[in-house]
Amino acid sequence: MHALRVTIARVRALFRRNVIADEIREELQFHVEMRAAELARGGIDAGDAHREALRRFGNPAVIQDRGYDVRGGGVLETIVLDVKYGVRQLRRQPSFSVVAILTLALGLGVSTALFAVIDAALLRPLPYPHPEQLVTLLVEEPRANGRPGHYAPSMLDIRAWRSLTVVAQAGTGRVTGFAPLIVDAGTPQRLTVAEASEGFLETYGIAPVLGRGIDLDDTREGAPAVALLGHAFWQRQFGGDPNVLGRTLRVQNEPVTIVGVLPRGFYTDTAVWQARQFSTQWLGRRGSGAPVIARLRPGVTLAQASGALDAATAPGAAGTARVVIASMYDEETEGFGATIRTLALAVGLILLIACVNVAGLTLARGATREVELAIRASIGADRGRLVRQLLTESVLLALAGAGAGVAVAYASLDSLVGLIPLSLPANSPVTINATVLAFALALTVVTALVSGLVPAFKLSRAPKTIAPMLTVGGRGGAPLSRRAGQWLIAVEVTLALVLMSGSGLILRSFARLVSVDLGFDADHVLTLQVEPLDRSAALRRDYYVSLADALRRLPEVAAVGAIDSSALRGGGPWGFPTADTGVDIPGFQRTVLPGYFEAMGVRPLAGRLLEEADRAAGEAVLVSATTSRKFFDGNAIGHTLRYGTKTVRHWRIVGIVPDLRHGGPYWNGDPEMYVLPDPAAPDTSAVTLAMVMRLRDGASLPGERLTQIAETLGPRVLVERATPASAFLSEQVARPRHRMLLLSLLGAFGLLLTLVGIFSTTAYAVARRTREIGVRVALGARPAQVVGAMVRDAVWPVMAGLAAGLAGTYYATRVIARFLFQTTPHDPGTLVTVVAVLGLAAFLAAWLPARRAASVDPLIALRAE
Amino acid sequence: MKPATNSDQLHGTLDMLVLKVLDSGALHGYAIAVRLERMSKDVLSVEEGSLYPALYRMERRGWLASGWAVTETGRRARFYKLTKTGRAQLDAETASWMRLTTAVADVLNG
Repeated sequence: MHALRVTIARVRALFRRNVIADEIREELQFHVEMRAAELARGGIDAGDAHREALRRFGNPAVIQDRGYDVRGGGVLETIVLDVKYGVRQLRRQPSFSVVAILTLALGLGVSTALFAVIDAALLRPLPYPHPEQLVTLLVEEPRANGRPGHYAPSMLDIRAWRSLTVVAQAGTGRVTGFAPLIVDAGTPQRLTVAEASEGFLETYGIAPVLGRGIDLDDTREGAPAVALLGHAFWQRQFGGDPNVLGRTLRVQNEPVTIVGVLPRGFYTDTAVWQARQFSTQWLGRRGSGAPVIARLRPGVTLAQASGALDAATAPGAAGTARVVIASMYDEETEGFGATIRTLALAVGLILLIACVNVAGLTLARGATREVELAIRASIGADRGRLVRQLLTESVLLALAGAGAGVAVAYASLDSLVGLIPLSLPANSPVTINATVLAFALALTVVTALVSGLVPAFKLSRAPKTIAPMLTVGGRGGAPLSRRAGQWLIAVEVTLALVLMSGSGLILRSFARLVSVDLGFDADHVLTLQVEPLDRSAALRRDYYVSLADALRRLPEVAAVGAIDSSALRGGGPWGFPTADTGVDIPGFQRTVLPGYFEAMGVRPLAGRLLEEADRAAGEAVLVSATTSRKFFDGNAIGHTLRYGTKTVRHWRIVGIVPDLRHGGPYWNGDPEMYVLPDPAAPDTSAVTLAMVMRLRDGASLPGERLTQIAETLGPRVLVERATPASAFLSEQVARPRHRMLLLSLLGAFGLLLTLVGIFSTTAYAVARRTREIGVRVALGARPAQVVGAMVRDAVWPVMAGLAAGLAGTYYATRVIARFLFQTTPHDPGTLVTVVAVLGLAAFLAAWLPARRAASVDPLIALRAE
Repeated sequence: MKPATNSDQLHGTLDMLVLKVLDSGALHGYAIAVRLERMSKDVLSVEEGSLYPALYRMERRGWLASGWAVTETGRRARFYKLTKTGRAQLDAETASWMRLTTAVADVLNG
C-alpha cells in the first residue's frame, strides 16, 4: 500500500521535476539565510556569517541531490531520462538507426506473424466453451477376419451414450462436400453444405442467433427437411434479414425450410447445415464416415469416460465393441507439428541473424561514441549506469522495429497465412490479438537483450585513461575488434547457410515436382466443367452429348471429348470389375465421351480409341498401360470385363492408352479404365463430366463464350469452370508451391541480412584502419595489396561459416525431409549451389567496401587523424 | 545514553526527535533545526542540511505533511506538521523508548 503511494508520488514527480528542484533550492536557501541572519545578530560580520552558515549547513548541492533523490521521480525518472537521451543519440545517427530498425522489423515482424498462426492453430483451435471437455468418438469392433476395424458410431450408439452420466451431449455431423444450392431467387451457386444430427451443435456449445437448432424430430425419416443458415451466408445472401425463417431453398434440387441461423464465426465457410435424416435401417449402422463428437461432463477424465462408454456400446456382428476416445484438441492439431517446426526454425534463424547484425552494427557505431562514454565514466557514472543507458537504446531500437514489423505483419497477415501450407482450424481465424501482442513484446525485450547486451558491456568498459582520447585523432580501444568482427561474420554466414539450404532444397524439390511429365500437354487443353442441376442420369448424358456436339462445331475447336470431372482433381470412382481371366481389376473407372484422348493429344499405344458409334452399346472400354501390364501381361485387347451385381455391365477392351497423370505429379501408378456412360442409365450412375477441348493452333476461346454456350443449351446448369487444364494442376501443387514461396522468401531475407552485416562490418574495419592503410600505402604497398588484405580478413570467417553451416545443415534439413519430392535432404547439387551463391555474395559484400581502402590518400590519412 | 553513531539508529533517533518537536505545532525547517539543537547537540552535528532529506523521507512515509506559508517576518517558507500517522508513530516510539529505559532502570536498580 505504501509502495503504491510512493510510486504514484514518483510518477507525479516526473511531471514536476523543475518545480520540485526549485522548491528544494528555495527551502535550503531560506535555512542558510536564517542561520546567517542569526549569526550576524550575534555580532559577526555579514559576509563571514554567511560563510559560517554555509559551513555548518554542508554542501548545498549535495544536500539538494539527496533531497531530490527522495522527492523526485526516482528510478522512473532515470528511465525517462535514459529514454530521452537514447532517442537523441539515435536521431544523431540516422543511417545506423534506420538500418537497425528495419533489420529488427524484419525479424520481429516475421516472428509475430508466425506466432499468430501458432496461436490460432495450436493455442486456441477450439473457440468453444470448455474445449477440454470435447472429444471425438470411434467404435472399434472386430472384422470378419478377426482384426479390429474402426468405424463411425451409429445413431443408436450416440443416443445410448447420451444417457450416460459422463456424457453431457453428443452428436454427429460433417461437411457433405460441394453441392449446388439454389436460393429462392433462382441463381444456383455451389456452396459448402453440411449435415448434422440432433445434439451436434449443442455439443460444441453453439446456440443459434435466430430460430432454433436441429431437433430429434427433424432427423426422423420423412420429416420435413429443415436447415440452418451459416452466419456469413445469411448476411451475404439474405442481407441479414430477420424474417428469413420459414423460407425455402433448394439443396441438390430438394427443398428445405430454414428454421434457424447460426452465430458468427462458426465454420464460416459452410453456408447451410441440414438436418440429417436417418431411416430405421441406418440408425444402427456403423461406419457412415461422419465424425461423432461428444462433450464430457466437467471433471470426467478420458479414462473414466472410456470405461462408461465401452459398457454402453452394443457389440458388433463379429464380437464386442469398444470405444476409441480422443480429445478433440489432439484431433484438430494433428499434423501441424512438422510444418510449424520447420517454419519456427526458419523464422528463428532470421531473427537470430537480425540480432547478430544489429549487435555488430551497434559495436561498430559505438566507436564514434567512445569519447562521450569515457567522459561520462570519468565523472562518476558507474558501469551499470552506462550499460543501462546503452541497453535503453537497444530497447528503443527493438521497440521501433517491433512496431514497424508488427504493423507490416498485420497489414499482410492474410497473404502470409495464405502462403502457409496448412489447413488451419476453421473456427479460429489468424489475427493479431492480445496474446500475440504480448508475445511480440516479450520477444522484443529478448531481442533487445540479445542484440544489445554484449555491445553494452564492451562499450561501457572504462578506459584506463581518457587523455589520449581527448587529443585530436586519439583513439581508445576499438570496440569492434578485428576478432569480434570476424566472429560476427562467421556466425551470420553459418546461420544464413542453414536457412538457404532449406530454401534451396525446397526450390529443387518444387522444380522436380512441376517438371514431372504428365503424359499430356496441359496448356493447350481447355476444360469446361458443367453441372446440370437435374439428377436424372439420362437427361444429363443427353445434355453432355449435345454440348460436346455444339463445341465440336466451333471453328476454333480441333477436338472435343469429356471425362469424369473428379479425374481432373486427381480422384475418381474406384471399381473392381471382373475380367474374363477371372481376376478382379481394381482401379479408377473414369467415364469419358469419345474424343477425350484426341483432345488431350494422346494416341493409343495399341488398338483404337473410342468412337461415337460405340456410345449406343456402351461396351467398348480403354485401359491404361499400367492396367494392361499388371493384369493382362500387356495384351489387354479383346478381353472382356463384367461389372456390377444388380445391373451388370459388360465391357470389351478395344485399346490401350498411355498412363496419364490425372492425379498430377503425385500419381503413383494406379490402374485406370475409361468407360462410356451407361446407355441403360440407372439414375444412380449420374456423373459430372468436364468437357475437354483442344483448340486449333493460334485460336483462342474465352471462358465467357464457353459458359454462354453451356447455359443456352441446357435448362438449368451450373458452369463451374472454363479454364485451361493447367489450372487444375496448379491447384494440386498449390500447397507445395506455397511452401516453396514462403521458405524461399525467408531464405532471401536471411541472405540479405547477412550480406548487410558483412558489408557494414568490412566498411567499419576500413574506416577504423584508415591510418594504418595510409601508412602502408605511404610505405609502398600497392592499392590492390591493401584491398586484398581487407578482403582476406573477411574471407577466412566466411569460409569457416560455410563449413560450420554445412555441418548445421546436415542436422537441420532433416526437419524438412518429409516435404521434399524426389530430393534427399543432403542433395549435393543443391548444397553446392547454395554454398557457391552464399560464398560469392559474401565475397562481393566484403570486396565492395574494401575497394574504398584502395582510394585512401596516404597524406590525408596520416594527417587528418 | 549517547546516541549510537550507527546511521540507522541516528536516523531513528533523528526521526523521533523531529516528531517530538512537531508535536506542539507546525514549524519550518530552520525552526526545527534550532529546536533540535537545543535538545541534543549531537544529532545534527554532522551537517545541518541533512535534516532536509530526513524531512522529505518522513513526509514520504506519511508521518509529516508540508505546505508553503508565510513566516512572522513575512518570508515564504515550507512548514511541516505531524499527520495522524505521524502522531501514532510518535506515540509508539515513545512507548517503546519508555519500555527500554524502564527495563534499563530496573536492571540498574537491581
